[in-house]
Formats: sequence, C-alpha cells, structure tokens
Amino acid sequence: MAAPSRLPLLQFCSTRVFLLRCTQGFHSEPAVQEPAYPPVIPSRTAKSKSAKKRREEDYYNQVRAASSVQDKLRLLTKLQREKYVVYPQTFTLNADRWYRHFTKTVFLPGLPEKCSVGRQVVDQENGKVPPAAGGVDPTVVDENTFSELRYLVGNGILQENFYLKKRRPFLQKEQEHFVAPFLSNLVSSVTNALAKYNPLLKMSSLDFNPEVSFYWMRGERTVPRGHRRGRADPIRFQINDQPHCQIRVPQQLEEFLPLQESVSAEVPVVQFEPNRLPMFQRQYDNNIFIGSKVTDPCSYGHTQFHLVHDRFKRDRLLKGNLADQIEVRLRANAIASLFAWTGAQAMYQGFWSHEDLTRPFVSQAVVTDGQYFSFFCYQLNTLALTVQTDHNNPRKNICWGTESMRLYEAVKDGEVVGLNDDVLKLLVHFLLNKPQKM
Amino acid sequence: MVIDLKCACLYLSRYPLYQLGNPQLRIFRTNFFMTLVKPGKEQPPDTVQFRIPMEMTKCDIKNYLEKIYSVPVGAVRTRIQYCTNKKRNHLNQRVKRPDYKVAYVQLVQQQTFQFPEIFPQKDTALEPGSVEEMQDQFMQDEQQRQKADPRRGGVTEWFGL
Repeated sequence: MAAPSRLPLLQFCSTRVFLLRCTQGFHSEPAVQEPAYPPVIPSRTAKSKSAKKRREEDYYNQVRAASSVQDKLRLLTKLQREKYVVYPQTFTLNADRWYRHFTKTVFLPGLPEKCSVGRQVVDQENGKVPPAAGGVDPTVVDENTFSELRYLVGNGILQENFYLKKRRPFLQKEQEHFVAPFLSNLVSSVTNALAKYNPLLKMSSLDFNPEVSFYWMRGERTVPRGHRRGRADPIRFQINDQPHCQIRVPQQLEEFLPLQESVSAEVPVVQFEPNRLPMFQRQYDNNIFIGSKVTDPCSYGHTQFHLVHDRFKRDRLLKGNLADQIEVRLRANAIASLFAWTGAQAMYQGFWSHEDLTRPFVSQAVVTDGQYFSFFCYQLNTLALTVQTDHNNPRKNICWGTESMRLYEAVKDGEVVGLNDDVLKLLVHFLLNKPQKM
Repeated sequence: MVIDLKCACLYLSRYPLYQLGNPQLRIFRTNFFMTLVKPGKEQPPDTVQFRIPMEMTKCDIKNYLEKIYSVPVGAVRTRIQYCTNKKRNHLNQRVKRPDYKVAYVQLVQQQTFQFPEIFPQKDTALEPGSVEEMQDQFMQDEQQRQKADPRRGGVTEWFGL
C-alpha cells in the first residue's frame, strides 16, 4: 500500500499555489528578472575592421592597465618594424622645417619672457651675500662670482688652445681634440661655482656622453610592398642622440607658458614622405631613454650641452654655399634632441600618446662649436602625435631659441680677446633656472 | 729650304706642353651631357632631377652646374637605375634596356624649381548648341538607358519570376 498520507501532488500544488497567490495579493507586480546576455561586441580573431579595432582597443587597455612604467614602455616598444632614424645633427638641407613637422613643434625666435625680462643676472652692488635657498631674487649672482666665472671660462679656453701642447689632430677630429675637453671643463666648473645659488644643482646629476633615445609615431602611410601591402601603417621615428653632457634633476622645471595657452605660430605641414628629406629607414630595438633608468631619482631634465661635429662646422658650410643652413642646422639639432629628451622624460612618468600630458615638460639646451653658442628652451605640451590622437588636439610643442653668439673673438699670446659677457650671463641664467617652490 | 720645312713641320706637330701657371691656350669642354627630367615621384620644390652619364660623380655635377651654368648647388645625391634585361626580340634574344644614372640636385637659399608642363591638358569643353555636343549628350543618354536598374543591386534581368 502506497503511503495513504501522500496527497496527490497536483491537489497539493494547486492549493498551495492558490493559497500563495491569494496571500500575495493581486495588486503587486510579479518580480520580473531581465535575462542577462553577455555584451554584443565584435570578435577578436575575425578578418574584419571591427575585429581589428577591438584588438587595438584591447592593446590600448592593456597598456593603460600596466602595473609599472617599465611594463608600459615594454608594451609600447616591443613590436619592431621599419622606422625612420632621425639624426639631430644632420647634413640634409632645411631639416628644421621637417623636424618641426615630425614633432609638432612651433619655433619662436628669442627666449621666453622668463629668460629675457628681468635678466638681471649680475648684482652690481659689491659685497652682497649670496641669497639663501628660497631668497627673494634667486636669479641674481654676485659680482665676485661672475668675475670668477669669467676667469674660469677664460682659463678653460686657454688651457685647450694655449697652455697644453697638442699635436695636430687627425682629419675631422678637431672638435674632439680642442673643444670637447673645454666644454666639459666649462660645464663642471660653472655648475660648481653656481651650486650655492641654485640648490637644485646640488641634487643634480651631471652625465658625460649620455645616450638619449626616443621612439614615436606620427602620420600614416600605405605599405607599398611586402606581405603587409596595402595596409594603413603609422610612420615610426627613432632618435638616438649623444649630447656632450647633460644635467638631470630630481624636480621638474617650471613651465614657460601655461598648457592651454595657444601660440600664434603654426606647425609646418610637409606633404612629402620623410624619405624625400632624405631620411632612411632601419629596423632595430625601439629605445626610450633619458640618460638613466626609470628608477633613478633624477628623472627630469635641466640642461643639455651639444657639440657640433666637424662635418657641420661653420667654415665647411660656408665653403659649400650653405651659409643660411648654419642657423637651420642648430635649430634642427635643438628641436630633435630636446623633443627626444622631454618626450622620454614624459614617458618615464607614464604618459604616452593615448594618455596625454597633464603638465608640460621643460628642458634647456646649449649648442656650441667652441666659439659660437646658441641657447634653446623647449616645452613639451603634447605626446599625442598619432593620427588617431592628433585629430582634435590643439596643443603644440614650443621651442624658443637664439641665434649663435660668439663667446670670444680669438686667443692671442695667452690672452682671450673679446670675451662676451652676454653669452656668459645667458649661460648663468640657464643654469640658475629652478622651480619656484625651491 | 728642305731642312727649314722639316723644322717647321716638327714644330707644328708638337704643341706647347702645359705646366701650372702657363696661359691656357686651349678650352677644355666636357664630354658630359646632363638631361633635366620631370620627376616620376613627387619631389620637394627645391629638388631638380637629372639623367646623367654613368661616369659622372656628385662633385662633377656640382662643378658642372656651378661653372658652366652658374647655378649654386646645395647638395647632390645620385643613384643608378637598373633597366631590364628580360625583354626578348623576335629572335628570342634577350635585349637589354640601357641603365642610367639619376641625380637629385638641391638648390640653395630656398630657391624652387617646378618642371614645366610640356603637354598642357586641353579642356574639352564643347560649345553648347554644336553638333558634337548633341552627339555627346545622345551617347551619354544611350549609355544611361543601357545600364541595368540600380534597384536590382547587380542581379541580372532574366533572374526573377
């Protein structure tokens, strides 16, 4: 006998349900649950444009979510392809126009207002005590110190050209033989002398023959030949620069112009491919380096010193009908080197083309061939140079620069003739540059 | 007399040797001939393209243009264009198209050069009311009539109910 107590299921259910339905009442809405479908997104592996876009988006998200700066840099630079190698010191003609196009830079002649207005570098009153850190007028240097600097510079020039007996150097090694030791001497002695006025210099790091490299993409082109023929490809650039020496600091320099301020000058647009400059392509390691690794405390740049190579000296250019190219090449050198340095500094802080800068990066440079000095300031406002990110980007990078000025006329009978004080004052001003808070 | 003539002949047959500092009695013209050509690929405005003989070098081009044509030259770059040896004639012999050297000359001081249009394109604008214009219009209308209905989306006429 089956369990007599077992009630028929249907009767049980229906009464229960009926009761339930009765208790719940006819006035409340039954709980409706939305069906949970996965999001409708394009495939990852299909041969379609949307799949390609999705793969790109996934890559960008991966870079954004990278845990450390080294990982980010690794992800951005791991894919090797043919890229144009940009040489800051170049034999090509009218290079500065092309370089401004590649780096989205605007060139403004003269130095920014901070450097030119109130350039009272030397204090005329004698016996003034050098101001302490955070003093009222930090850009003023004692008269005694300035004359000491003059002596140091003159001594440095004489050391290389008069005191030391040197053999005639082999072909095209004059700069290395005469000017490079003078420049090292000048930089180290002047920085030491000015360290008491600029506490930032006490914490700085002076590198000799550092390597500065930067890798970026700008513009697009169709691949003409090969297994990737017909595809749209960004144009890649790489700079591998070796300035003579550079000063790296742990704190960032102040900006010359606010980030959002627009400049009236225009970035030149060049319709031709870079190989018409001429510039040549190679495929090798993509490097981004400021002179020290990411974990170094001195990760911001202060000043770079560049030595013009023998091939690009003034007299050679004058012999080859290229008198107007002298200034052009100095500008091209400054723009390329400083863009690479500031760009690398920004990437060390985690910014890249899809995560644009929130604060401008500033650096300075001095380009010299021993006798003629030119001073340049660079402000990096944007790293978003790829076609996608440049679409609505009104920001431009700015480079200020002077013409080349003679430091001294000649060396005669153990005397430096015609030492130019203005050049020295500009150099001192550059080295005394420091953030306001210090 | 005979001896005098012989001396005169000997004198005429040997020209005065040139040494540095002597007056230049002879004018030496080069055997090189450069051809200005229209660039196949777009070049920057300060670049001029030439076809030059194989034996010429960059220095030769610079001196040639500066001394003979007094055109100051900034930079010169050269390359050799290899032309095919694959074509065959009616006897199945391979025929080589001769190679040539190309020079790209960049001018100084922002001077520009634009290769002139030797064959200007004539605008074939037909006079309204002329016979040719009516014929052209008729042909265009005829072609339009012969085209399939675009609403069919490329499907042929015979495919249907």
